[in-house]
Amino acid sequence: MMILENKKILIFGSNSAIPYSIAEKLKINGANIIFVSNEYTENAGIPQNIKNEIIHFNYQVIENISELFNEHLIKFSPFDGLVFAGGIGGVRPIKLNQPNFVMDMFSANVFSFMEIVRQASKKGFLKDGSSIVALSSVSSIKGLKSKSAYSASKAALEGAVRSFAAELAVRKIRVNVIQKGWVSSDMNLDFIKDNVQLSEEDDFKKQVLGAIEPDEIADLVSFLLGDNVKRITGTSILIDGGYTL
Amino acid sequence: MKGDQLLFQNKTILITGASSDIGLSLIEHLSAEGAKLILHTSNKQSEEKLRHLLSNIPDIVYFNCDFSKPHILEDVYLSSGLENIALDGFVNCVGVRSRRPINLIKPEHSIEVMQTNFVSFIEMIRIITKKNRFNSPLNIVTISSISSVTGGQGITIYSASKAAVDAALRCLSKELAPKGIRINSVVCGQINSKAYHEMMDSKTEQHDPILERQFLGLIEPEKVSSMVMFLLSEQSAYITGSMIPVDGGYLS
Repeated sequence: MMILENKKILIFGSNSAIPYSIAEKLKINGANIIFVSNEYTENAGIPQNIKNEIIHFNYQVIENISELFNEHLIKFSPFDGLVFAGGIGGVRPIKLNQPNFVMDMFSANVFSFMEIVRQASKKGFLKDGSSIVALSSVSSIKGLKSKSAYSASKAALEGAVRSFAAELAVRKIRVNVIQKGWVSSDMNLDFIKDNVQLSEEDDFKKQVLGAIEPDEIADLVSFLLGDNVKRITGTSILIDGGYTL
Repeated sequence: MKGDQLLFQNKTILITGASSDIGLSLIEHLSAEGAKLILHTSNKQSEEKLRHLLSNIPDIVYFNCDFSKPHILEDVYLSSGLENIALDGFVNCVGVRSRRPINLIKPEHSIEVMQTNFVSFIEMIRIITKKNRFNSPLNIVTISSISSVTGGQGITIYSASKAAVDAALRCLSKELAPKGIRINSVVCGQINSKAYHEMMDSKTEQHDPILERQFLGLIEPEKVSSMVMFLLSEQSAYITGSMIPVDGGYLS
């Protein structure tokens, strides 16, 4: 039997490689998926085999998340799992790190996740015994120049996860985080290409096993969603190619 | 002690959230060591109280600003006559508590706590690290909490805000090192404070499970301020980007 057979998983993602790879992998492992994408694209880049499961809804507008659940997701519920893979990145030195930039980063990476969990934990959405997985980064535990807002947002996300795990344990709902290092698809992102410090590869060299493929992250997500895991909660699991060694 | 032996003689130190228990303890010890103080409070009322309480200490500069509004901080800072003062130290004691179950953590609440505990702190650093607003070496210390590294029921957003600060300081320590700026946090356990006793008085259950793990007991504010003063001094010249626990054994 496939590890996610008969499970219905809700995925929050964007038009990028990691969330698509997660969606495809969960399907291969037998799950039914609902993929909420915060970006509308004319099918560009969307893998054919998950095209029909995608709902376009901008969940980074936080006050609309209750509408998303109560009007759109209610007909698919209840869910056995939830994956949050919808954050954003960004690099700015302190001089340019104005409150607006910091707050936008937090809206996308923290507040939207907290509101999604708040809505999903209401009656009828997440089953007892379900599993929540959020994507974070080694940036939450390692500092890098000009990434203070991003690092802080990921650490905040993980801080929230530890408390959610303590609180949702009565319903046997598990909440965990994956801390990823450099992923091959990151290397094409504009903010990294444009940043001399990062593109000089100094930082990338610390990742002794090389770039991670999106597919490998998807495997770890599947594992955390599966029934083989019953007692892992409130924790951050590293997949960093040795970056933090 | 003689004047020339004072630890912070002629040093200008900014304390935000100065009317907190830790802030008050810092004021007492820093001024005794010769520091010139700039004290921030969240509103006019607390400022007046503080002015009254500290009327015997000369040359204190006061300013007040609501930290839940980071966008106005720079204007307030400059209009309070601080533009031409160069800082040697900055201690951030601002921190609002938040205790709510998940169904009550609405985005407005999360945003307010995060603006107060995190965004305004980052904004203060942005403001004070501009040219002519600090002397090198500048030492920055912020008060963090064991909640930054552990989880507890109902303190989701508070934990998240403290973890955010600690992550940002790891980045900023690297970014600001070339300017001679160090930045660290003190990770506090449960403090023996007014707020703590008020909270316990409101409960019927008088046993506090935190104290089982924090086996050295409640922490006196003085023990936190002495660690802060160590981090503000050149004795700690090689410590930066670090979280130093004063936790009564909690994290052990």
